[in-house]
Amino acid sequence: MNVLLFGMIAEKAGADQLSVEASSTGELRRSLAAYISGLDQLSYAIAVDRRIVHQDVPLTGSEEIAVLPPFAGG
Amino acid sequence: MSQEKKHKVKDIFVEGPIDPAFVGTSIAKHATRMDIGAHEIFLGQVRADPVVGAHHDPPATTVSAIEYTAYREMALERMTVIREEAFTKWPSMTCLHVHHSLGIIPAGQLCFMVFASAPHRIAAREAVAWVVDRIKAELPIFGREVLSDSTHLWKTNL
Repeated sequence: MNVLLFGMIAEKAGADQLSVEASSTGELRRSLAAYISGLDQLSYAIAVDRRIVHQDVPLTGSEEIAVLPPFAGG
Repeated sequence: MSQEKKHKVKDIFVEGPIDPAFVGTSIAKHATRMDIGAHEIFLGQVRADPVVGAHHDPPATTVSAIEYTAYREMALERMTVIREEAFTKWPSMTCLHVHHSLGIIPAGQLCFMVFASAPHRIAAREAVAWVVDRIKAELPIFGREVLSDSTHLWKTNL
């Protein structure tokens, strides 16, 4: 699945998108940590279809997934 | 509340700083609304914060600009929800305008505007304070602080 990256996480990854296979958001977190060094040191949220999910939720691969570092608007 | 006021998804993002003249123009556009008795406006400006180097060495630099990016689609969806909640909480509010900059905004320039109008001041004042806080907490907007020594940091709303 395609994962959208933003802010400092996009900078760390050197890309604003990544292709990752994961069947849940928990697995996605583990996969991303393997792709992006130092990610496990950062605070970030995962948005599934533009909503932040806090629990480990299953993914089918058709969702819009985004990895969001801390917000800084205003 | 009208359906138009409640459900329309508005693009809040503008490229570059918000021109102070735009603020004046925005106020002037309400002159035909005879039911409005109060305007409340919050303006965010980029601050030249001092940044102390690691171990205080090298010496402190300052923030010279913030480069804003956003997850636009999610931000606009969240903003629509916040707008709807604001009009539910303050039903007398006549209108609510939100603008946020994207791109590089130099220190001293405006990057954020929340403008509410209502028949009386309390609704406008409370709504603006509440909307500003919600936006800062919930909209996926990211800020890269460009420092005067050409390094950068990432801004975080705490």
